Amino acid sequence: MVLKINIKSFFSIIISKIVIKLSKFLFKGGSNFPGKVALKLDKNILKTICKDYKIIVITGTNGKTTTTSMVYNILKHAKKHVITNNTGANMLTGIVSCFIENYSFKKCSETNYAVIECDEANVTLFTDYVTPEIITVTNLFRDQLDRYGEVYTTLKKILKGIKKVPLSNLILNGDESLLGDLNLPNRTIYYGFNCSPTNKKRVDANADAKFCKKCKNPYKYNFLTYNHLGDYYCEKCGYKRPELDYTLDEIKEQTPDGSLVVISGKEYYVNQPGTYNMYNALCAYSIAVVCGISTSYIYDSLKKQKSSFGRQEAINIEGKEIKIILVKNPAGYDQAINTLSLDSRTFNLAVLLNDNYADGRDVSWIWDVNFEKLSSLDIDKIMISGIRLYDMAIRLKVAGLPQDNFIICKHYENLIDEIKNCKSNTVYVLATYTAMITFRKFLNFKGYIKKLW
Amino acid sequence: MELNICHLYPDLLNVYGDLGNILILKYRAQQRGIGINIFNISLGDPFDSSKYDITFFGGGQDYEQSIVSEDLVKNKKEGIVSYIEEGNVLLSICGGYQLLGKYYSTPDGQKLPGLDVLNIYTEGGSNRFIGNTVIYNERFKETYVGFENHSGRTYIGDLEPLGKVIVGYGNNGEDGYEGCIYKNCFCTYFHGSLLSKNPELADRFISTAISKKYGDIKLDPLDDTLELNAKKFIIERETKNKPN
Repeated sequence: MVLKINIKSFFSIIISKIVIKLSKFLFKGGSNFPGKVALKLDKNILKTICKDYKIIVITGTNGKTTTTSMVYNILKHAKKHVITNNTGANMLTGIVSCFIENYSFKKCSETNYAVIECDEANVTLFTDYVTPEIITVTNLFRDQLDRYGEVYTTLKKILKGIKKVPLSNLILNGDESLLGDLNLPNRTIYYGFNCSPTNKKRVDANADAKFCKKCKNPYKYNFLTYNHLGDYYCEKCGYKRPELDYTLDEIKEQTPDGSLVVISGKEYYVNQPGTYNMYNALCAYSIAVVCGISTSYIYDSLKKQKSSFGRQEAINIEGKEIKIILVKNPAGYDQAINTLSLDSRTFNLAVLLNDNYADGRDVSWIWDVNFEKLSSLDIDKIMISGIRLYDMAIRLKVAGLPQDNFIICKHYENLIDEIKNCKSNTVYVLATYTAMITFRKFLNFKGYIKKLW
Repeated sequence: MELNICHLYPDLLNVYGDLGNILILKYRAQQRGIGINIFNISLGDPFDSSKYDITFFGGGQDYEQSIVSEDLVKNKKEGIVSYIEEGNVLLSICGGYQLLGKYYSTPDGQKLPGLDVLNIYTEGGSNRFIGNTVIYNERFKETYVGFENHSGRTYIGDLEPLGKVIVGYGNNGEDGYEGCIYKNCFCTYFHGSLLSKNPELADRFISTAISKKYGDIKLDPLDDTLELNAKKFIIERETKNKPN
């Protein structure tokens, strides 16, 4: 059976599909342009191409890509028809491109899922046309202040989008104090931790959102998980963490490769390390259960979860084991450093700092990252690269890392050479977004990575 | 020798990496064998002006700034005013800078009273001044670089600026000046952190504080190759891209 659609939409889709084929052939990717074309031809195109999908929108500061990937993998493993935009194309144009690419003029009888990673400022553009089945917000941290402003601004932008779709189900991080008691008509489900990876009860002076959003009194915590996330409460006005529907009850083991945890009474192995990935897994679990997926599929999928590109991706360069970790803001960087600290071997470190628009033009945020923690680890070579490598070197010097071990690499060619002649075999590469993209492109050009996206 | 540094509202005015200035001051002092003690003073705490040699006041989000404004005027005004008038070293950035003036009116119309210790005021504007900025200080004959990100437009009247704008917006996008200096109180919109690429300023703060406490002492120079390269990179890139 062929779907009925109007002429404008029909041509918009056809032309965009051609653009997609050309982009893939000519540019090896370019995932936003086809969407731009489609929107120009028919600005209501989303209404047509998103029809008949159960759409899961995933937004927030950190964890979008990994959570999207986890949910996609779980649904795929459960043999559902599912599409996703997980190549980092999370603005409206990229999302449109994804739906266009997968659009079929023939109607399908099965349930189609779309797991969509969505940039915080683009949620409201998307919900102008589409009512998602589920909207998830992972967390809110300061990030690229030159672009997004402050956490409260980011929250406002997301809420603007949510308010347009009162029928969407919200699955929110209950440990995030900014997301409690939103006073919305939507069905709202919360997930969170019932235990802590540390014994912290007092939040760092440098964390975000520490003051009660209702009465400005500082929050107290029964426990903290990281940054400002945890079991919060306000002594003055009584505002506190909501009841949790899905909980992480116990952390049995943590290694640099993954974590063994208990979620709602059952054991799961999350094949990605660190507290932040436990949150991503818990979020994916909640979404999957709400979609009616059986926990055995969730268990199998989380156990095999591979890294998305740039998110703790493992690469081999002539015997050296490289792990690329994307770092975007202090909360994420601190988590990456904590993950490195779990590695008891001697390793090498490469830090790449860019200040292009997508990285955040202001690099001040590196001074909010706890690099001091690295000074107690056994690190061999410290390679420093990227556009703002001098700023990075100054930061590491002041953090107490040994300047004798610094190697300034102005070009990727010499970064690769330095990696190749490292004494120990493990190299952690901590890179901001465009540095990660260009470094991967370079590795692909040199033949160390086969697939670019 | 040792110096006491007061960090005002480290838990509220803490968003833009300005903590780096404290880390850098500590590092540079310790390289010269000068001990550093850091005191975190926040809501409800008194400010004892005789206790500190350097005081630092950073930038924050509007929400937190409104909390600070109330506490400043209620609990700390006298102490800070006498601290500054007595010529002690104070470094104040963005939100901290605005709160030293007569008032700061937020983008959504709230008028927050400042400490009124500097004859300056700030009005909220509709667009933000964001970018890497290069300025030149006539008195010290030094060039400073930093990253500004503010919607407030500050007017400094007759006060000495921190520098003349070579590239960027500065205090208000109109008069061509950035920051201001009053006695040993230095104010600026520069994040970066400020002292990461302007080691001369860091050393000036340390020397001034040391001289006030122990008498004139010359600081041993440090190897600032990284800092000067970082500064040079920004100056070259930003002056090359300067729109005409």
